[in-house]
Amino acid sequence: MMKKLLTSILIVGLAAQSCTKVNENVYDKYAGDAFYGTAAGADNALATVYGKITGTWGSNYAGRDNCWYDLNSFASDEQVIPHRNTGDWQLDFAQLYTRTELPTLGIINNTWNWIYSSIYSANLAITQLTAANADPSKIAEAKVMRAWLYYLAIDDFGDVPFYTDNNIDVSKIPQEKRAKIYDFIVSELKANVDLLSEARGGAYYGRFNKWAGYMVLAKVYLNAEVYTGTAHWADALAAATKVAAGGYSLHAGAANAGSPLGYQYYELFGDVCPNDETILAEFITQNVVSGNIYGIRSLNSPNGVALIGFAGWNGTVIPSEFYDKYDDRDIRKKQFLVGPQAGGVTYTRDVSSLISPGAAPNEGIRNVKFFPVKPDASGASNDFPIYRYADVLLIQAECNVRLGNVAAAAPYLNQVRQRAGLGDIAAPTLDNIYDERGFELNMEGHRRQDMIRFGKYLLPHGFVPAAPATRLIFAIPTAALNANSNLKQNPGY
Amino acid sequence: MNKVYLFKYGLSVLFLLCTLTTFAQKARFSGTVVDERNLPLPGATVTVKETGATTVTDKDGAFSIANSNLQTLTITVNFVGFDALEKTISADQPAKFALNPSARSLNEVVVVGYGTVRKKDLTGSVSTVGAKDLNPGAVTNPLQQLDGKAAGVNITQVGSEPGVAPTIRIRGITSLQGGNDPLVVVDGIQGNMDLLNQVPPSEIASIDVLKDASATAIYGSRGAPGVIIVTTKKGTAGKTSVEYAENTSLDVIANKLKLLTAEQWTAQAQAQGVDASANHGSNTDWFNLLTRNGVTQNHTLSFGGGANEFNYRASLTAINQTGIVINSKYKKYIGRIVATQKALDDKLTLTMNVNSGINQFDYSPTGVGNAAFTSNLISQTYISRPTDPVLNANGTFYSDPNVFQYTNPYAVATTVQNTNNVNNLFGSLRADLEIYKGLSAGWFGSWRKADSNNGYYAPAASTITSAINYNGQAHINNDHVDEKLMDINLTYKKDFGANHFDATAVYEWQAQTYNGSYSAARGFANDIATYNALQLGTLANALSGDVASYKNDRRLVSFLGRVNYSYKNRYLLTASFRRDGSTVFGENHKWGNFPSASLAWRVDQEGFLKNQRTLSSLKLRVGYGVTGNQQGITPQNSIALVGLNSQTPTVYFGGQLIPNYFYTQNANPNLRWETKKQANAGLDFGFFGDRLTGSVDAYTATTDNLLFRYTVPVTGSFFVNNILANIGSLRSRGLELALAYTVIRTENTTLTLAGNGALQQSKVMSLGGNIQGLDVPTNYVGLGSNAYLIKGKPIGTFLILHHLGKDANNAETVVDQDGNGVIDQGDQSKDRVEAGQSLPKYTYAFTPTFTYKNFDASMVWRGAGGNKIYNGLRQTLSLQENLGKSNLLQSALPLGIASSGYGSDLWLEDGSYLRFQNLSFGYRINVPKVKYISSLRVSLTGQNLAVITKYSGIDPEVNAGGLASGDYGTYPRTRTFSIGLNVVLK
Repeated sequence: MMKKLLTSILIVGLAAQSCTKVNENVYDKYAGDAFYGTAAGADNALATVYGKITGTWGSNYAGRDNCWYDLNSFASDEQVIPHRNTGDWQLDFAQLYTRTELPTLGIINNTWNWIYSSIYSANLAITQLTAANADPSKIAEAKVMRAWLYYLAIDDFGDVPFYTDNNIDVSKIPQEKRAKIYDFIVSELKANVDLLSEARGGAYYGRFNKWAGYMVLAKVYLNAEVYTGTAHWADALAAATKVAAGGYSLHAGAANAGSPLGYQYYELFGDVCPNDETILAEFITQNVVSGNIYGIRSLNSPNGVALIGFAGWNGTVIPSEFYDKYDDRDIRKKQFLVGPQAGGVTYTRDVSSLISPGAAPNEGIRNVKFFPVKPDASGASNDFPIYRYADVLLIQAECNVRLGNVAAAAPYLNQVRQRAGLGDIAAPTLDNIYDERGFELNMEGHRRQDMIRFGKYLLPHGFVPAAPATRLIFAIPTAALNANSNLKQNPGY
Repeated sequence: MNKVYLFKYGLSVLFLLCTLTTFAQKARFSGTVVDERNLPLPGATVTVKETGATTVTDKDGAFSIANSNLQTLTITVNFVGFDALEKTISADQPAKFALNPSARSLNEVVVVGYGTVRKKDLTGSVSTVGAKDLNPGAVTNPLQQLDGKAAGVNITQVGSEPGVAPTIRIRGITSLQGGNDPLVVVDGIQGNMDLLNQVPPSEIASIDVLKDASATAIYGSRGAPGVIIVTTKKGTAGKTSVEYAENTSLDVIANKLKLLTAEQWTAQAQAQGVDASANHGSNTDWFNLLTRNGVTQNHTLSFGGGANEFNYRASLTAINQTGIVINSKYKKYIGRIVATQKALDDKLTLTMNVNSGINQFDYSPTGVGNAAFTSNLISQTYISRPTDPVLNANGTFYSDPNVFQYTNPYAVATTVQNTNNVNNLFGSLRADLEIYKGLSAGWFGSWRKADSNNGYYAPAASTITSAINYNGQAHINNDHVDEKLMDINLTYKKDFGANHFDATAVYEWQAQTYNGSYSAARGFANDIATYNALQLGTLANALSGDVASYKNDRRLVSFLGRVNYSYKNRYLLTASFRRDGSTVFGENHKWGNFPSASLAWRVDQEGFLKNQRTLSSLKLRVGYGVTGNQQGITPQNSIALVGLNSQTPTVYFGGQLIPNYFYTQNANPNLRWETKKQANAGLDFGFFGDRLTGSVDAYTATTDNLLFRYTVPVTGSFFVNNILANIGSLRSRGLELALAYTVIRTENTTLTLAGNGALQQSKVMSLGGNIQGLDVPTNYVGLGSNAYLIKGKPIGTFLILHHLGKDANNAETVVDQDGNGVIDQGDQSKDRVEAGQSLPKYTYAFTPTFTYKNFDASMVWRGAGGNKIYNGLRQTLSLQENLGKSNLLQSALPLGIASSGYGSDLWLEDGSYLRFQNLSFGYRINVPKVKYISSLRVSLTGQNLAVITKYSGIDPEVNAGGLASGDYGTYPRTRTFSIGLNVVLK
């Protein structure tokens, strides 16, 4: 009997010995360190930062909704989505437009999270590329992207958390002054831009090359007065001139039956951004890489079916005050739809109500600047021009006016006007340039920054009353404040 | 009452006299065993205490033992589901053993995990429900049989979709991260809730629910949410039995919403100035069109038999259910065989169990509709305008191009295929060897496979927008689960003097592997092949994520032991200890310890209670235990992983499209089980010869190391913005009472009034904290439906805007609580006010039973209350501005609200209810003269016969065991009427 017992205990003991390991097996993913330790992994770390730009719903630069583009566009005077009296559309967009948004607004929180997760990805790419002894141009590319992201951060939020090494506890990340981060952006760009590739298109389509780098520098200098109180018009002009040296030219604008909306001009906003004018494009292929919803979001359902074979969302409208400024000869006015349309729809010029009881379904002017290519539920395939040469010309014009060289400014401005089918302005004023920027660059995410720089942002327009100066920067999102007790809310919120 | 006593004691005296006056030389002992209705019990085990000899009763319930040298024998009779009965009988004096069903008795055996104890020796809090007390009627899942039968065990059924199982919560919610389903143990095989789906409801012998930590700690890191132990019927030696049980029910819709009729819609549309183009002039009752009467059928054929050394039981069950929503149905087939063989002079017992099941589901599609109102299919019928036609003039399904993402629910119901096939197979082998006096060893192994295959096809004709865009879309899922378990155990029992001691030691190893694949295709030339030929889709329509596969596994290694000690049968001590190691835990916490101890004092055994009749039994129990919960942790949750970014799987870089890799998960080497520390005190009592029995339990439990997926800033060691970590704590407290009073107990008639009730409250004690050096001050976590997790408040506390009225445009207005002129809907907004909680504060049930001769009747009434429900569906169907594109509730007209930018307390309703869940009548027809039939029973059952509630939705059970309760449309609940037939063949 005892022998049996001993044998049993022995068996139990042996079995237990061999079956006490509880280490984890991974079959269908890669372990972090193993993946990023390689050169291919480092390259991927850089690609990931671009993946952040295209992103997805609620997390992207432009193309889809509820993030950076919507925040910076609906806060301006160029577009709005009214609540409809049929119960459609939440109030977020109308609240942004009328500057009644609260720090809890989802779009604000999404933009903040998008910027900071992108900065994290850029930091990671820099670390990984450096560790992998990658080509200096790749490291510079990641650093320029990070500088660009910080530029977007201070543009929207003012004083923001600042860090360049991921290996830091968030509670130790200071909320740095806008001007301090401005200094970092400028020095980082200056140190790295010349290391970037000069190639345009091909493998560098949709990537930060040297010219895109200088474009960011030009934008940062252009708004230096807003960020720091000190203007840098000459520096902005110099940086813009550097971009021009990249050999860009305006894409043709002429009437052409095969082009979207009947003009070659609209090819700039088509499936692929043309290399002649585009400095930095966001690559979009519907359903594969993000989607461009800006046309679909504006059209109503039957009009969308008739025009592009896809039911629109009946969202975005263009305020009539903005539309009215366009000259009837301006080919850029073709992007707007008003009056009777295909599909038996008539869009009215004006919107009767933004919030309550809301606008009737067919109220409001629509926009198809990004005339939808291959639209489906994920958006259309139109690439998004982050920066293009027309902007450079307008920066050159603006800086010259601001520096008192009105005569020098005119040719830059008039190049843009001529393509649009408009006459020259011999002695442009700042208002001329401000208006031209609106005509040329509307729907491209620049309007809020321009309105602020030209001192127009706080003025009343249409449904929108005058706003206090504290609205020049957005609120820091409530969720970010809750997560980090070191953060201070911007004044006025 | 005195009469009854006289009768009972008189009978005892009579037996005593018989015993005294009997003497014989050639002893022959015989008797018959009958049940409480005097029906013979074949197959009962008869044991002679003096010699240890055993026999079983024959088909007439008779036994006889010959050739003994003694004049009297002490006989113990055992039969599954009945109390053992011990009696001294005399030679040549046939004795009658009338067994009582065990449910109301303290002598029954309770399965406590890795062993059994007699209920009277139980020291923890366990509810036991025997087969006879399980709810009858149209039952497709064993949980439905348990409804209302155990205090503190709350079973919720949201709607009556075929094949959708109810959820069960034992003592409420003690975990936030989805880990509140109890561990399920079926004949030793451990698994998740889906294991229950593999148990034929009619083959259950008993269900034991382990509730407190001292009872569940033996299951260690999986014991915290409670344990359900199902014991299935086994064969009994000596008698062949063949039984056929059948139940067929008619399922009708219990309740529906009152929506505008076509006439009312037209009148209201005119009144509101809705464009006449929105009125398409038809008169369609969409709800009626999509619903029908359902039928549920249960058939079970079971048979078994054997000799002393061998017995078996086999059964085949078929359950066939057609849903009340058209094209939804469920079929389930389960075959099982249990066989037991003894060897080595009966020292070795081998039990093998093989179970194979086939489940076929045709689900009603979910996630249907437009972006603003995505719901299950039936809820789409509410928003469909009654003036819309079903078909166009040309016979195609109607769709309105002027309505964004218009969905025709009848088109969806008749064209979308959504099927799921699940094949389950499990087997187990148990070997028990008696090694030495009181010492035995056992080995148990089980292997379970569950393979599911899901197919979905939506043609363009379905009117679903994406299906139209892609000209049909199809996908298939294949998922495989492989669960293995092995344990080795040693048990030892010893009595010395008044001391009883037994101990169990177990080593256990479990491994679970999950793998599967997903494929999708879009754009089909026609709808013939549906999802059966994905290669027929259009390649140009292929998307990232159309092809996916996965594999992961987890292992759990455990050492555990339990000691039971009792002195004089009065003082009972149980102590257990378990050490669990799991692969899913973080590097720093691979192993956890889970101790427990409980004490019981059987006061009724004390001398000072001997001489009274009022109190027939009394036991005090106290227990404390530490249990864990690891359900919230899935494989690979503790290590940093890189995979495809699921939202943006592809990135354009370097002139080409490449996979977009990124961290998908943060590392958390500290990831571990939740620790639940629970103290329980209970009292079991019986008065007047156990005519009034009951138990009271009070408990308090604290869940520390609470698992929660925290939002963290992407910095430092956080690659992604969330991390599963153990930071906060919850506390739950409760009080449970179960009572049963036998009002009438005569030879022909019994009437028992039974019921139970529970008070329960779970509160968030802390939520935020420090994760890897980072302070994460998490609080006011939104759960949806305006319910929140707030430190110091009950789980699912509603924080909501207070309805004020409406403005000139008939837009809803709410109270600006902080008077700052701005209505802030942020989670921590001062404009929100606290307004009750999502989870019920109390649950109760009343379960009377009555028998008269061969007739029996039973009822189940059960209720819950103290909770609120956010009726999101009513909100959607009340805003008049939606009229042009949807239907509205009739109640929307007097309300007169055109639009609302808020989710206010106007839509927050009291969720209390009392449900008349079950009414059943049965009649046993004795057919002694029929050659092949030994008994026949017919029963009639009605389920969900009435609901008493103030809640305005179709049913107040909207929360399937979750943290928040919002109603966004549920599958309708049925009222069923069923006829059952039970035939026992000779």
